[in-house]
Amino acid sequence: MTGHDGWEPEAPELVRPYVITKGRGLPDEEHLSLITLVTASAEDTRRPARLSPEEQSLLDLCSAGYLSVAEIAGHTHFPLGVVRILLASLKEGGHIMTRPPVARARPADKEILEEVLNGLRAKFG
Amino acid sequence: MTEYTGNPLLWVLLVALVAAAVLIGRQRRAARALRQEVQGLKQHYTELENDYGKSVRAAQERAEDETKTVLKSAMRTLQGLAAEQQLVLSRLQTKYGDSALLQDLLEIDHTNSQFGRRAQSIAVLCDGWLGGRRDTASVYDVVRSAQGRIRHFRRVEILSQVDFGITSRAVEPVALALAELLDNATSYSSPDTVVEINIRTVPKGICVVVDDAGVGMSDEERARADKLLATERASGVAGLGNPPQFGFAVIGLLCERFGFEVSVDSSSPYGGVRAVVLLPHDLLTAMPEKKAPAPAVRTAARPEPDGGPQAAAAPSQTSDGLPRRRRKRPMAIVPGSASAPPSAGRSDAEQARVMAAFQRGTQTGRVTRPGDADRNGRTPGASREGHEDS
Repeated sequence: MTGHDGWEPEAPELVRPYVITKGRGLPDEEHLSLITLVTASAEDTRRPARLSPEEQSLLDLCSAGYLSVAEIAGHTHFPLGVVRILLASLKEGGHIMTRPPVARARPADKEILEEVLNGLRAKFG
Repeated sequence: MTEYTGNPLLWVLLVALVAAAVLIGRQRRAARALRQEVQGLKQHYTELENDYGKSVRAAQERAEDETKTVLKSAMRTLQGLAAEQQLVLSRLQTKYGDSALLQDLLEIDHTNSQFGRRAQSIAVLCDGWLGGRRDTASVYDVVRSAQGRIRHFRRVEILSQVDFGITSRAVEPVALALAELLDNATSYSSPDTVVEINIRTVPKGICVVVDDAGVGMSDEERARADKLLATERASGVAGLGNPPQFGFAVIGLLCERFGFEVSVDSSSPYGGVRAVVLLPHDLLTAMPEKKAPAPAVRTAARPEPDGGPQAAAAPSQTSDGLPRRRRKRPMAIVPGSASAPPSAGRSDAEQARVMAAFQRGTQTGRVTRPGDADRNGRTPGASREGHEDS
């Protein structure tokens, strides 16, 4: 194999990502986008033993406050989509809460502004 | 008497008698010789038969050995290719992690793992290569690895975990044996049932119990399984039937080679088969250290003489070299003290240090913002707190 660019792990990972996600599909982009903010649920003091180690470590990451999905993925060695699937399942189980990203201010409509200006001019000017 | 001697008939009779005697004697001799010859021939025949049997067996063995060698090297190539493809897939999954392509990549990965496992099974039957070196892994991860190597892995549920690891030498064989068991369990049970895995600690080591809700095994199948698992090891790929049944033959060989036990002689409470893998203590170790990032450290910043901002600037990185975000603390008057666990007995000296830090904090606040000096000291302290976290 050529072209590894020094990226050569000794053996393929023992547990493949599709097992970690339990074969679930990718969540909706609306529900969990890159910049969705995620935090552990407040009442999540008791950790269910049924969570996989990966889910546990994600929960640990989230418990430190709101983090974006992209940031969480950066802290793990999993592909971003895998992290999104795991977060979606954690959300389903009620272990984490998500908050939509702060919406961008919509640029003002130039035409309306012009009309208002014209109106004002007509009235006072 | 003389009249008799003159009778030619007598002479004729005499001659005939003598001739008959001679003939009988000769015949007897011939018969004896013939019998001996037959005996000799028989002996020769058995010898030939033995030789023939021997040479047939030798030829068979040679042919089997040749098949084994050919299969072994062929499988080795296939295994190598599967492993290589797995690495490529891992790379692709990281590269296209945020696109919809990932779903398909995961599916290909799944198919590739099954393909690798098949090659591995045949390699085991041919005394071949089991796969690349593995690190010690937790029992849970080994079970999940096995889960990933079968088609219907979604139907497998792991219900319990134990805090034990498996030695690096045994990781691959145990995973392969379990994968074969799970393959049997999922193939011989209806598609809407779940295959349960329980991991238990027992005095002899660890038991991995696989329960399926299938139809169970007939007596004949059970006898075959017992034979392959306990007494008579399979050798080569001959005698696996058509379609070939690899499962128990592979498991039996792995058990013998690596020293664990598999039994399928009990039935599951769900009506199917209960397979139990017993891992003895020599194959077990302590839990391996997690590679996954450690939980975010909640640094209890000690109230240091020169205050918060410098303390907070200390680089804090994850194992991957990425900056670690600190916990957003609620507004606190004294930097750091809020996050420190409210220990039951804070010593007087500590209390004094905390108070001193508070005082210094308000003072520095007044100094840096002379205009605000008349306002209370809380505002600068609070803004500094915000500073530390950003």
